[in-house]
Amino acid sequence: MPQLDTDLSAVGAGLDALDAPSQEQRPSLWKRFVRTTVPPLIAFALLLGAWQALWALAFWPEYQLPSPGSVWAAVAEAVETGRAFEVLWTSVSRAVLGFLTAVVIATPLGLLIAKVRVVRAAIGSLLTGLQSLPSVAWVPAGILWFGATPSTIYFVVLMGSVPSIANGLVSGVDQIPPLLPRVGQALGAGRMAAARHILLPAALPGYLAGLKQGWAFSWRSLMAAEIIATSPQLGEGLGQYLHNGSALNDISMVIAAIFLILLVGVGIELLVFRPLERAVLRARGLTGAL
Amino acid sequence: MTATLETPTALSDVDAAVTLSGVRKVFGHGPAGVVALDGVDLTVAPGEFVCLLGASGCGKSTLLNLVAGLDAPTSGRIELTTSRPAVMFQEAALMPWLTAARNVELPLRLAGVKRGARREKASELLSLVRLVGAGHKRPHELSGGMRQRVALARALASTLGAAEEGTPGLLLMDEPFAALDAITRDVLQAELVRVWRETSTAIVFVTHDVREAVRLGQRVVLLSSRPGRVVREWSTVDCDEPVVIDEITTHLREVISGHAAA
Repeated sequence: MPQLDTDLSAVGAGLDALDAPSQEQRPSLWKRFVRTTVPPLIAFALLLGAWQALWALAFWPEYQLPSPGSVWAAVAEAVETGRAFEVLWTSVSRAVLGFLTAVVIATPLGLLIAKVRVVRAAIGSLLTGLQSLPSVAWVPAGILWFGATPSTIYFVVLMGSVPSIANGLVSGVDQIPPLLPRVGQALGAGRMAAARHILLPAALPGYLAGLKQGWAFSWRSLMAAEIIATSPQLGEGLGQYLHNGSALNDISMVIAAIFLILLVGVGIELLVFRPLERAVLRARGLTGAL
Repeated sequence: MTATLETPTALSDVDAAVTLSGVRKVFGHGPAGVVALDGVDLTVAPGEFVCLLGASGCGKSTLLNLVAGLDAPTSGRIELTTSRPAVMFQEAALMPWLTAARNVELPLRLAGVKRGARREKASELLSLVRLVGAGHKRPHELSGGMRQRVALARALASTLGAAEEGTPGLLLMDEPFAALDAITRDVLQAELVRVWRETSTAIVFVTHDVREAVRLGQRVVLLSSRPGRVVREWSTVDCDEPVVIDEITTHLREVISGHAAA
């Protein structure tokens, strides 16, 4: 049997120093800011320039293609009168509430589908099918069932986002290396403990992708519902604002509404999901895509 | 197959950490069933280091799974007097979202050990495997050898950490160094022997490398293939290493070439 002399332990320490993957230096805050912010700004400026040029060439009449200036004026007016904030608040609060409800419903549902074979066989494909069904299709049914009330709006949002979130969790669980649950079992984890300490954290990247898609689906379902279902009872959300612009034949208002809808989508992605995703992937050493 | 089907239970028989008697394992049913193990009798003394040696298909890993309680034998008895056995695999299989220290803490957490005690035990075990100061690192920031040492610390935490003071531990290792380069393997073998001496844990070590088996074990058990049976045993304490290695290699080759005709 070998004796561990000082030589061998020194060899071990040397190996640790040589073999450990070298830590990449994170670039400075300023550099990262320049790298991530400048390209989209340039793209946006180019787009704006092309739009202005097209408008100046006057191929299309003013009521079809407004100038960037007049759209900006519509946005500025909505902001000045405070209407923009009311409209944004109505829609964003609805979307967030609907999304959170969807998370609460979809998470246990996804776990059930992923881990219980009968459940997967029974409703797995249905859920994937629902994902490809445009949630606008639920609006007429919702209006017949619940009337033009917030219930219709939330119903449509849930039908849009629950399948995405549940499916994300299912694929997250499916992609767990089979060795990890076995290790969990060997370490003495019961079913519940394994779900809490191994399954859910291991499935987190897939789950997060599902959440991200679920948010996008709840936001676009909400817009679809708000554009179609308009009534005084519902108040004015972004969708109604867009609908009103269209009713008034005010193309500047329509484009302004689309701009605001996009702004919320990009804003939530950049402020919530991008940092979350980054933190999760970086902790696991999956930095390739970042 | 009328033999009792028992899950590992503690018996009064204190001079054995593990006792396998007439263990048989069949995968599948009827004529299509594959007999992985047949009539395996094996005793491991407390604190003993036993190497199980065999070619592929000898059911080494199956045997470990049975002892670990991850699978049940078709017939025969397995008795343990140790605390819950810990398993180490060829891959470190650390949880990629946990730091090294948290990985070592995981079995303690699953056993309901309080946070303070958990931290203390984990840092103690990390220093045992010479990883002081690496506790805050994530698995992807460690080399293969370091990861396997974290896995060793985690296995020790799993078998020793939650047990009552004085209960002997049992470590089951399934070719844990097979995926490492030769130099790292050399160092880790020495580390394992050192850790084994310091913790007086019984170790059942599965390998297909005769040299490794003779170098590490106090006893080398040769298994036949399909079905796996104990063919012969060698004690390697105070032996002439090259001679025993030659002898075992010859035997192993005979066992393997016996399958050529079949």
